Amino acid sequence: MVPTAYYILLSAALFAIGVLGVLVRRNALVVFMSVELMLNAANLAFVAFARERLSVDGQVLVFFVITVAAAEVAVGLALLVAIFRSKRTADVDEVSVLKG
Amino acid sequence: MVFQITDIPRILPEILLLFLAFMVLGSDIFEKWGRSPAARLERARSSASLTTIGLGLIFVIALVQSGYVPGTAVAATAESSNPLLNYLINIVRNLQAGGPGGAPIIGVFATDHLTMVARLMLIGAAFLTSMLCLDYLPQANPAEFYAMIIFATLGMCLMAGANELIIAYLAVELTSIPLYVLAGYYRNDTRSAEAGMKYFLFGAISSGILLYGMSLAYGFAASAAGGMGGNDLTQFQRIAELARINPEAGTGLLMLAMIFIVVGMGYKVGVVPFHGWSPDVYQGAPTPVTAFISTASKAAGFILLFRLLTVAFPGLTGSATLGSELGGWTALLALLALLTLIIGNLAALPQTNAKRLLAWSSIAHAGFLLLGLIAWASPHGFDRDQGTVALLYYLVVYSLTNVGAFGALAAVMLTVGGEEIADLNGLAQRNLLLATLLTLCVLSLAGIPPLAGFFAKFYIFMVGWQAGAEWLVVVAVITTVISLYYYLRLLKAMFIEAPISNEPLRAPPAITASVSLAVAGLIILGIFPNLVLGVISRVQVVAGL
Repeated sequence: MVPTAYYILLSAALFAIGVLGVLVRRNALVVFMSVELMLNAANLAFVAFARERLSVDGQVLVFFVITVAAAEVAVGLALLVAIFRSKRTADVDEVSVLKG
Repeated sequence: MVFQITDIPRILPEILLLFLAFMVLGSDIFEKWGRSPAARLERARSSASLTTIGLGLIFVIALVQSGYVPGTAVAATAESSNPLLNYLINIVRNLQAGGPGGAPIIGVFATDHLTMVARLMLIGAAFLTSMLCLDYLPQANPAEFYAMIIFATLGMCLMAGANELIIAYLAVELTSIPLYVLAGYYRNDTRSAEAGMKYFLFGAISSGILLYGMSLAYGFAASAAGGMGGNDLTQFQRIAELARINPEAGTGLLMLAMIFIVVGMGYKVGVVPFHGWSPDVYQGAPTPVTAFISTASKAAGFILLFRLLTVAFPGLTGSATLGSELGGWTALLALLALLTLIIGNLAALPQTNAKRLLAWSSIAHAGFLLLGLIAWASPHGFDRDQGTVALLYYLVVYSLTNVGAFGALAAVMLTVGGEEIADLNGLAQRNLLLATLLTLCVLSLAGIPPLAGFFAKFYIFMVGWQAGAEWLVVVAVITTVISLYYYLRLLKAMFIEAPISNEPLRAPPAITASVSLAVAGLIILGIFPNLVLGVISRVQVVAGL
């Protein structure tokens, strides 16, 4: 059996990649993907910890997270479409009417 | 612990909110609406009034259920010879069977006094918001707009009572996702779409961080539990209990979890340096939605943060006193509060847009609110209880004030057509009532006696001082004085500057009514704070502490 620590290291690496992606990438779609990566890093950690202790609640939580993430990204894409219609760009830096 | 049929009345307001949301949606879908402008107006009005009446009723039901109104607490044996009166007594008795107290439902949802007070505050804020929307007609499908407000309210009520990681995460998302939609509701208006997008991006990132923190907390519980497995490792109390009985097991992991959770919730409540979204979102979103986001969503976030930190991480409380014991989450929050107070108040100074100015002011208020949490640094139980009471009192006052202030701006937006400070010029000559209401709200935000904002600030400064964060209270007092400058700029525009035209403004009646309700609350709370403090002081008994 692979030690839990390995899974947690992988999940930490995924989370770090997700955070970096959010901070560095400017395309809204890539930012969405990075956010998904952050959520899935957390999911992986939950499942790994739950498997270690043979407890179910961590695994149940992951199902909820997957469902919520789908709902969330649907709203995000709808907002992106609304922005794209007026701006013709998916670059998050170009969306800057509001500032000050 | 299993779910029992007697638990249903305890979550009655939540069930009713869900029911109301589907009713609002259904009334729009199943009715055949005409296409003429008159029919469209009627359609929007019917959704709006259904929402407002429904939220009002749920507020009354929650109020009766909590038993906070003097004289409504019905004894178990009360009976009357009048059959009608007897019937009413029975209804009230059944409602109050689900009143505050008792262990959390299946260990996950606490219905203590904190939840009850929070419920009243959140449903009340939603009620005032939906009243603001009565004149602020939404576009295409009006029912969606109102149903989103109700769904978000439901999420906030769940946030207030969440006592377990899964329901806490779901409640946060149930609150946030409808709010993203509401912020970007006028999708053809670039500013509203942009506000929605920014809110979504920051919200999604913060959820990711929050969830990762939760996974670490769960991991800590799983490793500390050792062989004792069990399926209650996500409950806040269980995490605290495991940390207490097993002090050696991964304190670093727990600390990391706490930091991630504070950062994640910090985004939600808008404290510096996680505040980047709030000025843009508050400015771009439709004004009634701004009122809702800045009050109810922030209040629910603070209550969840309070529960998470005090119930799940009591071992990491630490101290906020300058010196060697500085540490734990109170020190982290004190640092955030320091940044929030300074940056929030200074950045508000040069603003020219009234909505944006109030957005920065509400960031600054988050700094004051953090003082109520920092009170937990005190070793004395009394000071901690005072901190909880001060936090709740401040949240109630702040919610009323900000709904009033943003509501008045919504009226200005509808009648003058803009929300720059220059659009407020000479408001006192054009509509004295609206100008007076906005003035009272702004003065309460600034903390001028005898309005409620003064007492709330005084109380929260006092508990911060007691908790040993004297340095922070000094900074808070100085920044309060600085904040007077930008609040007075709004008053100067209204009372001294010359108006663009002398034509009287006719403010929409529903907005005026909603703002008047909020301001009446402010004056009553300011002159008779004991009316509400008596109720709020019961929140000291928090489930699991």
